[in-house]
Amino acid sequence: MLFKSMICFIALGAAAIARPAAAQQPFDESRYPDFAGQWEGMGRLGVFDQTKPPGRGQQAPLTPEYQAIFEANLADVAKGGFGDDPVYTCIPEGMPRATTLVLPMEIVVTRNTTYMLMEYLSMLRRVYTDGRDFPTDEDPSWMGYSVGKWVDPDSSGRFTALEVETRNLKNPRTFDPSGIPVHKDAETIVKERFYLDQANHDILHDEVTVFDHALTHPWTVLKNMKRERKPIWVESICSEGNVHVNIGGQHYMINGDGELMPSMKDQPPPSLKHFNQTKN
Amino acid sequence: MRAKVSIRLRSTAVLASLVLAAATGAALAHHSFAMFDMEHPIEISGTVKEFKFVSPHTLLILEVKGADGIVKDWTLEGGAPGNLVREGMTAKSLKPGDEITATINPLHSGAEGGSYQPLAIKFKNGTPVAQPK
Repeated sequence: MLFKSMICFIALGAAAIARPAAAQQPFDESRYPDFAGQWEGMGRLGVFDQTKPPGRGQQAPLTPEYQAIFEANLADVAKGGFGDDPVYTCIPEGMPRATTLVLPMEIVVTRNTTYMLMEYLSMLRRVYTDGRDFPTDEDPSWMGYSVGKWVDPDSSGRFTALEVETRNLKNPRTFDPSGIPVHKDAETIVKERFYLDQANHDILHDEVTVFDHALTHPWTVLKNMKRERKPIWVESICSEGNVHVNIGGQHYMINGDGELMPSMKDQPPPSLKHFNQTKN
Repeated sequence: MRAKVSIRLRSTAVLASLVLAAATGAALAHHSFAMFDMEHPIEISGTVKEFKFVSPHTLLILEVKGADGIVKDWTLEGGAPGNLVREGMTAKSLKPGDEITATINPLHSGAEGGSYQPLAIKFKNGTPVAQPK
């Protein structure tokens, strides 16, 4: 009996030691910046760098190979297609595109995890702040695996920023609706720094730096969000009423009667070879 | 009981710039709206057949009488419900039978479809449909 108790004691002690340091500290809300509430994106929507015009105006630092892919996407979009943008079929935006808030986001800070609940497409980000490292056996996902660290640069006992690194992302993804591509190897790494504006605590900044093999150098942009004190939340379930379909690599629209419509001029209909067709 | 409906196709440079400016916000947010002619908006009048307040984009099905007198359904895509709520529209803003006029961006393909902006829709008596708070 004594032996069993000792084993239990040792096991519990070992488990406590093995827990990351952050997880053992009591959660003191007053040490964290006030990220609560609804955050609404500022600046241009539908673009990754919200200070620049869409398309080529984004000046994405693409390698020649990926610039050519982007040009092909632009040409398809100009005809009424969607290029390589997968979101029109209800695939989530994923990272880093989700940082461009189409619809508002709520941030919930807890002791070991900070949650970012995005209204748009019901996307959810979990940022683990318990001191863990990246896993080696997780399946990739569109939102990726995010590890964060609260920083207290002047050792005042109060955190001023949340630094986040996101890896393990899944394709297909693009930076924006115009089709700025990420590399097909899906080895994108996104580093972010969230902090409140010093002059106005109802403004949140997210400094985003993207490392991707489609880029000639890391691409850094600053996202700004404003806090809504009386938020309205609306459900966003993409498959509810999406009228855009991809059939055989072609984009079509569905009208109010459920019929297929062309999206491009003189677009041929999809193949019907697997349907019994009555000849008139 | 279809009320009098008519279609008036007219391009207005000023209107075009206004609609384009609005469209680059919510509309471009989910997917490219390049399938719609953003530079040549048209004005159409008709009767609401159905207003689907759904994600990812709201849909307005409008019965529109063409110049040939034939009534056709136009499928108009708008912003996400979340965008519309914040711009002053709800699921109850439009109901079947409402007679409206809307400035839309038509499909490049020529099919009866396009995109709409909340602030560019008015009831027959001129009252704006969207009521921003």
